[in-house]
Amino acid sequence: KWKGEGTTQNLESIVIGRCYDYIRIVNPAVGEKNCSQIWEAFKNAFINKDPCSILPKDYELFINLTLHTIPPNKSLFWENNQLLVNRFADRGRRYMSLGDTLFGFLGDFLYWCGQADSPGLDYESCPTTVECENNAVESFWRMASITYARHSSGVIHVLLNGSADGGAYPQPGFFADYEIPNLQRGKISQIVIWVVDDIEGPDIDSCGAHTVKTLETRLKTLGYDVTCTDNNK
Amino acid sequence: MPLQQGSARARQRTVLLVGIAVLLAALVLAVVLASLLTHGRHAVSPQMLKWKDRGTTKNLQEVILGRCYNYITAQHPELGDKDCLKIWESLKDAFIYKNPCNITPEDYQPLMELASHPVPCNKSLFWSKTGDLAHRYTKSNQNFLTLEDTLLGYMADKISWCGDPSAPGINYESCPKRSECESNPGSVFWKMASKMFAEAACGVVQVMLNGSVEAGAFRSSSIFGSVEVFNLDPDKVSEVHIWLMQDIGGPQSESCSGHSIQRLISILEERNFKIICEDNYRPVQLLQCVHNPDHTDCRLCTNST
Repeated sequence: KWKGEGTTQNLESIVIGRCYDYIRIVNPAVGEKNCSQIWEAFKNAFINKDPCSILPKDYELFINLTLHTIPPNKSLFWENNQLLVNRFADRGRRYMSLGDTLFGFLGDFLYWCGQADSPGLDYESCPTTVECENNAVESFWRMASITYARHSSGVIHVLLNGSADGGAYPQPGFFADYEIPNLQRGKISQIVIWVVDDIEGPDIDSCGAHTVKTLETRLKTLGYDVTCTDNNK
Repeated sequence: MPLQQGSARARQRTVLLVGIAVLLAALVLAVVLASLLTHGRHAVSPQMLKWKDRGTTKNLQEVILGRCYNYITAQHPELGDKDCLKIWESLKDAFIYKNPCNITPEDYQPLMELASHPVPCNKSLFWSKTGDLAHRYTKSNQNFLTLEDTLLGYMADKISWCGDPSAPGINYESCPKRSECESNPGSVFWKMASKMFAEAACGVVQVMLNGSVEAGAFRSSSIFGSVEVFNLDPDKVSEVHIWLMQDIGGPQSESCSGHSIQRLISILEERNFKIICEDNYRPVQLLQCVHNPDHTDCRLCTNST
């Protein structure tokens, strides 16, 4: 029916398990959370609805229940280099990327969607963003990105892929459309951009050039103190 | 008449005071009784044994189930036939209601059978005193697998559990340290899982050792030295590659020519394995350099003529 992967099997056990894993082992500093309540809020965002009618604000309760402080100077934004980010961030020990927050950790690498007039999850297929924008997973990440940007402070880092087709700073993109507009200027002291090329990959984009220049200009116009480095050691 | 009124008032006052005193006494008695009774009710299991290590991880069931499903669904769909509920039950049955100093390998046999799976040849990575670094390496290079990257190890990593003969059968307050008794649920689990991990290895195996520990990189008392080395199968394993990693800027206590490494090499050679040892294996060292980019060992270009 749809072109995208269906709901991940055992989604409920995975989400609840990850929730307890996070609060007991990965980051107990966030304190006590009600993981069953969190699962209910997550599910209610998209079940029993047309899978093309899910909006970011449908996840509002979920976000309220999973929100926690993001330590200043630890936010790490990224585009087109998820695996590199995970290695570099070291599970929140050096940096806390979106995937290292509780709300990001719960949804990472999973797929889900519901169906109109039925409380069940669709395990066969789910709509891709090309088929319809307002799908359960896309809206989740939009809401998560907005929240992550809103609660970031201090020096924030952005890791971009200088070998990516189409440029290091994609537009449209999550960073461009959901994160930058939600950064709180008063809480941010500096934005540090790192442009990293794939080893033996093409050097398509760099600081001061093409899309990175567009990004630097945009951020400076918004009033941020911006620095940029190529191929971070 | 004032005297009479005075004495009536005095009597009234006395009655009042006595009344208040009785009331206060009753109140105190009630509080004492209440605290005694509720204390008895809140001490869930006053007879539970007390140990020195941290207790069972809270929400153990949810964490184990979630990790099991996460592993087989999101990461290793080829293991789709594994039954996570059965796996959880077999783990629980291994230790619940038992004295945590009396655990045997037989207790874990059903779990081991349900959760074990083959490991591809040439991919096994053993480690000793280098856990953090070894796991960062396998996360960035999926060509290698530590025990904690297999289903059994993944479920149990950084978690603790132990039982107790009194209800509810699981001790969330404390669990025995190895020094208190060796046959405790955690130690027996990891010993068995390590043995099976070693038995399953084939082809070329790798081991990451720490050249910055004073007591020596290879210790016979470690799980690697006492269990894994002796359960590698010479009919399946052809070579053992040792990666001797020293901390960047840290003490260079031992290198491939060191005493404990020579001892390890002789033990392995006696069992007919071919050995190669490499000091500061570069791909792993590069990971260490992420933390120390400015150290001389981490410069990208070495002096080449």
